[in-house]
Amino acid sequence: MHIDPKREVVQSKGGRIGMALLLVVFLLAIFAPLLSAYEPLTQTTQIFAAPSWNHPLGTNHVGQDIWSQLVYAARTSLLVGLLVAVLSTTLSALFGTSAALIGGAYDRIVMRLVDAFIIIPIIILLILLSLYFNPDLSGGSLIGIKVSIIIAVAGISLYAVRNLGWVGIFIVSPLIALVLLSYDIIPSTGGLIIILSLLCWQGGARVVRAQALSLKENTYISATRGFGASIWYIMRRHIIPDLGPILVADFVFCVRRAVFLQAGLAFIGIGDPNIVSWGSMISDAREWIFLDVWRWWLLPAGIALSVTIVAITLIGYALEPALDPRLRGEISAQN
Amino acid sequence: MLTRQNLITYLVALFIILTLNFFLPRMMPGNPIIAIYGDVAVVQMSPELEAELTERFSLDQSLGNQFISYWTALFQGDLGYSYAYNAPVTEVIFGRLPWTLLLAGLALIVSTTLGILLGIESGWRRGRRLDRSLLSGMVAISGFPDFLLGLLLLLLFAVNLQLLPLFGAENAYSGLSGFQRLMDIAKHLLLPLVTLVLARVGGDYLLTRNAMIGELKEPYILLARAKGLKQGTIRYRHAGRNSLLPIMTRTSILLGLMVTGVLFVEVVFSYPGIGFTTYEALTYRDYPLLQGLLLVSTFCVLTANFIADLLYSRIDPRVNYAH
Repeated sequence: MHIDPKREVVQSKGGRIGMALLLVVFLLAIFAPLLSAYEPLTQTTQIFAAPSWNHPLGTNHVGQDIWSQLVYAARTSLLVGLLVAVLSTTLSALFGTSAALIGGAYDRIVMRLVDAFIIIPIIILLILLSLYFNPDLSGGSLIGIKVSIIIAVAGISLYAVRNLGWVGIFIVSPLIALVLLSYDIIPSTGGLIIILSLLCWQGGARVVRAQALSLKENTYISATRGFGASIWYIMRRHIIPDLGPILVADFVFCVRRAVFLQAGLAFIGIGDPNIVSWGSMISDAREWIFLDVWRWWLLPAGIALSVTIVAITLIGYALEPALDPRLRGEISAQN
Repeated sequence: MLTRQNLITYLVALFIILTLNFFLPRMMPGNPIIAIYGDVAVVQMSPELEAELTERFSLDQSLGNQFISYWTALFQGDLGYSYAYNAPVTEVIFGRLPWTLLLAGLALIVSTTLGILLGIESGWRRGRRLDRSLLSGMVAISGFPDFLLGLLLLLLFAVNLQLLPLFGAENAYSGLSGFQRLMDIAKHLLLPLVTLVLARVGGDYLLTRNAMIGELKEPYILLARAKGLKQGTIRYRHAGRNSLLPIMTRTSILLGLMVTGVLFVEVVFSYPGIGFTTYEALTYRDYPLLQGLLLVSTFCVLTANFIADLLYSRIDPRVNYAH
């Protein structure tokens, strides 16, 4: 398992392109207020304005500046993607390793639940849940969600920096910056983030469990057990750090899935209408597909979304050897 | 191959769905009839109907009794009544399932076949020009969400060039029959089908290509070459055939997601299948229909998994030894 995720990404050409593209999206998200002249939801008097110096991508059907929306939407996508990935990778790691280490009835129960959730079509489940639980969060549940997100982010940050070093800092610092900057959209996306995380960790837990089962056979684990270490200690100090590459790869695939799902759900009109996202922009632009406006409305939003997903995909493929070491020779041959 | 483990998994999945379907509407504050039937129903609601529904769901009784009558109705195949469509839920769903099966089934067959062929050729020519351009092209395409691909194709071929129809599965009331009707259906099918194939072929291609590269390193390939077998034979009969296993796993997963995987594309093209129905049920807040859809699509996944397990043990004899 001595694979260095950082090296895999930096050494493959696809990985480098992916990182560069993602960095651009990231900068857009972080510096959104500096890059745009309008607030994304401010309505101007002009509707369907063509691109001009004032509105680089024109305005939409209610006179909102499309460029501002495009830039701010990067925040929504990245925030949802990263937070869902943080929460669900944490759940995968905890349930996967504990199932492998504890075994017995606990293992069987967890794995049957995991399999069951893999079978259930989550898009329809998401639609149903979002209808019954309106995205209108307030009071106790909102504080609960904020607290759990802050605890998760802080915990993961500490753990990642301690165990992954360079890569840890790389994952964590933009995440913290984003969460701080996008603090105001957490109330309206928090529910979605929690539901997506609860529905996304199962696949990762399976991979983690398989790997943890083989790690568990190492003699140093029996030695640690002989010294009286608890299961929680072994998980924390021995198994999870060794799972690093798998967790990083799982993290990347979770980001991709969450960005995809968030866009898709926004496209069919689920989620807070006051949150600007690429999915909702595409959905709005679709109503006016017979006018020429799609060129500076639908197309840029679509390209932004696709570029983000392609970037994450490229990084994911570069990391694939972490999941399947048989591919190692191939990736280095591609340099 | 219905193992005990799979059976338990299936039962757990069904239990989760049914419990959610039962408890979600009943947990909501306010009139449970509105929570169960949605806002559309309320418009048509007369006192007699309300009394009838209360009676039918035993809403005036304890939660335990409600649970029993819920299960009784389920076992009688009664998924409730859709007020948006004015028809029983089962009727709505099974009327639209064929369109989804047609679209999703064809997409699965075409994208898998295409992915396998391209993957084999690409892996065989690894590092050469064709391989490199295919690889980068596929990675780029697989980054496009399917609804975006669909919208772009719709814009190009239906809105601008006006070559293909904008929506639907066939021209209603056109009175076409026989071959002409078939052509009409094919015309409506083409764009959604191409969208789905484009969105999915990348995954199949990459998987086959990786497997192919792995197989080509095996000693039996060297032996085949030493025997002087034709290139095509080695490529397809030896390496290609053995590269099919990972793709079988993926296809079995996709087979399960067949019904829900086409949701966004059906929405874009207003293709009247299960996915588009889900979208309409969402717009009308038609809760019984949505719950029925969730249940039916879970059943589809279970059936698909079951078929895939059967096929898998046929193709890879090693699977049988494991049991």
